Order: sequence, then structure tokens, then C-alpha cells
Amino acid sequence: MSAGLPHPLTYSVIIDEKLGLGLPPHVYYMWLAMIILFTCAMMLRGRLQLVPGGMQNVFETVIGGLEDFTVANIGEDGRKVFPFLCSIFIFILVMNYIGLIPGCDAATANVNTNAAMALCVFLYYNYIGIKRWGFGYIKHFMGPMAALAPLMLVLETVSHLARPVSLTLRLFGNIRGEEIVLVLLFVLAPVLGTLPMYFLFILGKTIQAFIFFMLTMIYLKGSLEHAH
Amino acid sequence: MFFPKQGKPSGAVELFYVAGTIGLQLVSATFIGLAMGYFLDKWLGTSPWLLMLFLLLGIVAGFRDVYREVKRIQRRTGDAPGADGSDQGN
Repeated sequence: MSAGLPHPLTYSVIIDEKLGLGLPPHVYYMWLAMIILFTCAMMLRGRLQLVPGGMQNVFETVIGGLEDFTVANIGEDGRKVFPFLCSIFIFILVMNYIGLIPGCDAATANVNTNAAMALCVFLYYNYIGIKRWGFGYIKHFMGPMAALAPLMLVLETVSHLARPVSLTLRLFGNIRGEEIVLVLLFVLAPVLGTLPMYFLFILGKTIQAFIFFMLTMIYLKGSLEHAH
Repeated sequence: MFFPKQGKPSGAVELFYVAGTIGLQLVSATFIGLAMGYFLDKWLGTSPWLLMLFLLLGIVAGFRDVYREVKRIQRRTGDAPGADGSDQGN
């Protein structure tokens, strides 16, 4: 929750001094999120059971719920793209929550992390569309009427290019704003002021991760379904 | 809580999510149009014209996105209650 202040004292600064790599904090916290997720995955893979218990139960609830949601929205095609969607959701969620640990910073509070993920989403849904429809994918950009097709081509290009920008800025603005509010409240009233905000921000960070997931799902749905 | 335990969140919560995404799409489409016009002008040397044209196109694209999103919400909530797929998800 250092919120990108000029001289943040986060663990990453100390680790960076030890390693001498000169990397910015958000890279370390993204690595931390990756380590957490890989460890969870390795631990769970070793002892999968038919009757889930403990952590397997938690993950099955989350991933099963998301899969149902995806299939209800996209249809059966959604199962093919679901691994990408789910990894994006869980990755963003873990990165957001890391920002709530004192001395850590959310990797998503930096615009570069979000831009990388939004570009991945942009390339992925276009790749899925081209793979599915071949050259006919261009019909998705043409609109319903043949006479207006050149105009629609430009309009759709603009609105498709605006998608990664708005994905990036939405996640960045919300998470960075929450981190700054946490620091300011900590300055005003050290523990008492911050504690209630934690509950609000746990909710807020979940919502932001879910919005990113849901928009990715809507874009994938648009490229999978038939052009109108 | 707000997490979709039942496969999909309740109607009001989902509307809340969707409504929160509309505004930024409008703004970023406008700015993408502006940037496209600016760089095309720089490239082709047709100074103010493409900038104006693409800014206008960006604004139109943004409003078109908002319109399409609103249609989507309306299609989802305009149905009779209970007919919005709540009987398929479990």
C-alpha cells in the first residue's frame, strides 16, 4: 500500500537492494503473485481428491462458479476459452489483494502491468475470432448494412482499439486510487482509520478483478458469435 | 457476498458492474479517435482535417458503444423476471 509515493518503503526495495537488479516494485509483486499461484497449483495437483476438502474446495467453488457464469453467457464455446479467462481473474485478484498487505504494493496499481494484460486480452480475442471465422472475421467490423460498411469499418476499428485502453485505465485508476486512499488514511489516523477501509477495499478489489474478467468474456463472446 | 457463487450474480449487481464500464469506453474511444487522427495527419501532412474527422468518428464510435451496451442491458432485463437464464445456471 505504498501507492507509488516518491520514496516508498516496501519489501521490494529491500529485496532489490539485495539482488541489485534495479527493477521497479510492481515487477517483484507480480512475481510474488505468480509464486503464490504456482505454489497453490502444485500443492493442489499433488493431492486431488474426488471429495474435495480444504483448499481444493475453495478453488472448486470459485472456478466452478466462474465456469458456470461463462457458459451461461457465451454458451458451450465458452469452455474452450475459459482457462484464459479464469487465469486472468485469479491473477488480478491475487495481485490486487497483495496491495492490502502492509509494506507491499499492488502490481495492478502500475499502468504497465495492466497494459500488458489488456494487450494480451486484445490479441487473444482477435486471435480467437480469426481462428473461428477465418477471413470472414472482417464481417464483425462491417455492420449490418453493405452501404455503410466502409464507415463501420473505421468506427469499429476505433472502438476495438479503445477496448484495451479502457480496460487498462479502469483497473489502474481504481486500484491506484484505493492504494492512495489507504496511505492517506493511514497518515490521518494510523490503524483506526485504515481498518474499516480494508473491508471496503477487499470488496472493491474483487469487483475490479471481476469487471476485467467480465469484459474479457464479453469481448470473447463478440468474437465467437456470428456477425449480425 | 458480491462474488458469483451461484454461477451468475444477481441482476442488480451485474447491472452495477456493466454500468460502471460504460463511461470509460466512451472517453477512451474519443481519445483513440483523436490519437489516430493526429498521427495520420503527421504521416500524411493533411494538417487539421484528418484530426477533426477522426475525432468526430471517435466520438460517434464511443456513443455507439454506449448505445449497444444499453441495448444489451435492456435485452437482458427487459425479459420477464426469471426468464433471463436464471433457470439454467445452478
